[in-house]
Amino acid sequence: MSDQAANADPSVEQQLVAYLDGELDAEASRQIEELLATDPRLREHLQCLDHTWELLSELDTSQVAEQFTHSTLEMVTSAAVEEAEHGRREAPRRRRRNWLLAGGGLAAAAVAGFLAVALLRPDPNRQLLRDLPVLEKLDQYREIDDLGFLRALRDEVLFAEEQSDGKQ
Amino acid sequence: MRLMLQVRDGEAAAFEQLVLRYQTRLVNVLEHLVGNRDQAEDLTQEVFLRVYRARKHYRVEAKFSTWLFTIANNLASNALRSRQRRREVNLQPRDSGATSARPLDLIIQASSGQMPARQLDKAEMRDIVRMAVGELNERQRMAVLLSKFEGMSYADIAETMDLSPQAIKSLLSRARVNLREVLEPYFQHGRRPAAENGRNETSDFRE
Repeated sequence: MSDQAANADPSVEQQLVAYLDGELDAEASRQIEELLATDPRLREHLQCLDHTWELLSELDTSQVAEQFTHSTLEMVTSAAVEEAEHGRREAPRRRRRNWLLAGGGLAAAAVAGFLAVALLRPDPNRQLLRDLPVLEKLDQYREIDDLGFLRALRDEVLFAEEQSDGKQ
Repeated sequence: MRLMLQVRDGEAAAFEQLVLRYQTRLVNVLEHLVGNRDQAEDLTQEVFLRVYRARKHYRVEAKFSTWLFTIANNLASNALRSRQRRREVNLQPRDSGATSARPLDLIIQASSGQMPARQLDKAEMRDIVRMAVGELNERQRMAVLLSKFEGMSYADIAETMDLSPQAIKSLLSRARVNLREVLEPYFQHGRRPAAENGRNETSDFRE
């Protein structure tokens, strides 16, 4: 009865088993059915596979005893009680940890805020430093009303001995 | 799944319902997997304990039976590996003259003196089928048990065993061919095969 052809081709074997298990799509099922229709040895092989599968129903499937259910539930109840005890013991520690974390978070936020303000707020001293060249000659500049006139004077190079860096 | 969500939310009665619904199925699958009823019951209780401890992590989109049998499969694998390690440590020297036949072959040999056309009774058939399943490797056996007794699809078995559906397809195919080779002589006529047609002791199951 052994079907050497089917046994030698693992892909056909897989398709046959998948067909028996209802795992093939419509197209693959159609292909297997076509093969089966034309090959009596394959049909016989399929029947053997199916029959073997049915024999597995002979395996024991006995019910568990009531005592088993009781002991399972007792075991889980003990685990639940242990879990609750552990939670109660851990609660004060968890609270302390949470307070510390909250405090640490607040401190970190305060420092970050301070740094942000310090970096982003305009520094009046920096402004003054930038304006220092003007401030040094403010009295002279006050004598001249027109900025364009100053630029014209600069372009005429009348004061060539005075370079931009103030060197003579 | 609804029950497991209730367990997740702390309902003790729901957990009891889960135990009642799945305990027999788990024990039977595990028994055929590890080959020992007592150990199967211990493992089943361990499964339920782990389910309880992990209840808060249960995801709604996960199928409960797949999750349950994934835990069972992992525990069974660990148990079998431990047993294998203990067996390696406790190796007895083989008697070179004695047969190294598998248990199934011993059953055949033991009965070879009886009338070859004797009808098998139910208990004998059950023993033979159990032995045949026991001869499969661990993965083939688990796939067969989940497919046959839990009616799982290839996709669900794949998820349970952390394999691809194609790997499951291949596993089940090889397993069923192996089972057919062993059991075919028995279901051909419902009789034990004659001694002169007995199986070759050295034939290897396809892996």
